[in-house]
Amino acid sequence: MKIAVCIKQVPDITAPLHIQNGALVFDTNRMVLNAYDASAVEAALVLLENREGSIHLFLLGPDRAKETIRKALAMGAHEATHLLVPDDAALDAYLSASLLAEQLKQHTFDILLCGKQSQDTDAGLTGTMLAEHLALPYATNAVGLTLEDDLVVATRQGDAGQEIMALETPCLVTCSNDMNNPRIPSIKGIMQSKRKPVQTISVTPDATPSTQVMGYEPLPERTPGVQWEGEPLELARRLVHHLNDEARVLS
Amino acid sequence: MPKYAFNADDAYLFESMLGEEDRLIMESAREYAQSRLEPRALEGNQDEVFHDAIPQEMGELGLLGATIPEAYGGGGVSYTAYGLIARELERVDSGYRSFSSVQSSLVMHPIHVFGTEEQRQRFLPRLATAELIGCFGLTEPNHGSDPGSMETTAQRVDGGWVLNGAKMWITNSPVADVAVVWAKEKGTPDEGTIRGFLVERAFDGFETPVTHNKMSLRASLTGEIVLDDCFVPDANVFPEVRGLKGPFTCLNSARYGIVWGALGAAENCYHRARRYVMERHQFGYPLGAMQLVQTKLADMITTITQMQLLAWRLGQLKDQGQAAPAMISLGKRNNCGRALEIARTARDMLGGNGITGEYRVVHHMVNLESVNTYEGTYDIHGLILGREITGLQSFVPRGNNM
Repeated sequence: MKIAVCIKQVPDITAPLHIQNGALVFDTNRMVLNAYDASAVEAALVLLENREGSIHLFLLGPDRAKETIRKALAMGAHEATHLLVPDDAALDAYLSASLLAEQLKQHTFDILLCGKQSQDTDAGLTGTMLAEHLALPYATNAVGLTLEDDLVVATRQGDAGQEIMALETPCLVTCSNDMNNPRIPSIKGIMQSKRKPVQTISVTPDATPSTQVMGYEPLPERTPGVQWEGEPLELARRLVHHLNDEARVLS
Repeated sequence: MPKYAFNADDAYLFESMLGEEDRLIMESAREYAQSRLEPRALEGNQDEVFHDAIPQEMGELGLLGATIPEAYGGGGVSYTAYGLIARELERVDSGYRSFSSVQSSLVMHPIHVFGTEEQRQRFLPRLATAELIGCFGLTEPNHGSDPGSMETTAQRVDGGWVLNGAKMWITNSPVADVAVVWAKEKGTPDEGTIRGFLVERAFDGFETPVTHNKMSLRASLTGEIVLDDCFVPDANVFPEVRGLKGPFTCLNSARYGIVWGALGAAENCYHRARRYVMERHQFGYPLGAMQLVQTKLADMITTITQMQLLAWRLGQLKDQGQAAPAMISLGKRNNCGRALEIARTARDMLGGNGITGEYRVVHHMVNLESVNTYEGTYDIHGLILGREITGLQSFVPRGNNM
């Protein structure tokens, strides 16, 4: 069984960050493997636990993202393709999906896994767009993934229950972080990862993004609450009057 | 994105100077320490519990004997990476770093450097997975800073040696399967020469009573080693190494790890103090708005930055084979002393809350008292440096009629 996994390097969102003049400032400038993609890698490793097969990683990103490839290889993936773009490449989900699709068309695989979204944009678009580009059946936001005969069975979480979907291979599944607890790469895995093949291919988007981020703004500050003092009966009257006539939340 | 931002955890961006491999190892160690050790540390330190699963977990991840070649079950990593692991473990608790330092630097390292090929094969792979736990016996009840005066003896007998004596303040000894013990030859032409022995749990005359009432390093186990006519076969003796060079080689390696470990503890105290003063309000303002508090934080990040750069550079020197013992003394002395000061300041900044274990700073503070003392006290490393600077030893007071 051949599993392809798309991974992305994202800023560490647990590190302090603030907005300055409409731009994001990452205090630590730490870059990490997108947590949802880590779940996708883990899911692939679990699927292969009692099965022959291999895991091929695909990453679209600048040169420094190779550290993220190495981390996923250290978890246990077998090989990787790095689609190299310049540091300042302007990419949106559509362009990313197009570039990944172009490369993936040259490979065969049974299952293509992605994180359900990336932690930096939280858009959740690339996986589904990629499936459309490749004309693959797909399921999003899976919390469970198994193989039953020739079918890939993905469990999706709803508010009141679960949806269980069967997909024919080849197919694409985007993985939730609720699916598993990604393993911590062992030192042995890290040391072995440098001996695993990584192919680097420079790619150039053939279009400018059709969407762009105009800026970032902090959440509007909450207006402070009001505090009244007085007798209970009077306060209750005042509260009802306020809710009814001023805030108009009762009528 | 503006080009320049100040990283208040890593002011001079030393982590960005690390190689990819070292940084990945640091991240794995950090992820493990924060997700698995931190939740146990309060109970561990407060109630003197060393959780049974910890050695195996560290072994599975490859944190034990990480610098030992892969052929012997180690990781073959750089000394910088080894230091970064120590930093992450001690960010949680010095007790956990002590466990791993002893296993890695004081047990696996000497077996690798001084052991026979048969000893390496027999012990190292199982020490790397923590199937075996090791300890290191040098210090004695009457001989701490002056190990050359040790009283433990090894008498030559047919097929091996008989050891007698007692070792004290031995991390891991109560659970150790094998002890690296240093003792003086007795009744041989080389009478008084220090030799190294691998004493196994099953040997008769080997006891390891637990040390009770510790006020520091409570999350790791400490005990004694009592040797009462303990027979050690020739197969368990380091064949070549003689004298204090043996134990000092081990201590150099462990002290190097402590340079990094103390940094982790200091960083954690600073991190906790910083968070606390932003949340805690007095007189209507967060403590962090007070000038006295701000300069304390400024002093802390300044010192921590110095400690980081010192550890990082020392790691480079060690990886290039250029780290002289006195360089390690300088780092061990500085980083332990400064970490202890930072921990005390952080404890003060947390006020009454700093007294409770829940905030963890007081654990670091009392742990660092041990870390500043063991593996060469602050003052002894000062004397080592003094001897290097002047060419004059001052360990032994001379010119006095005593």
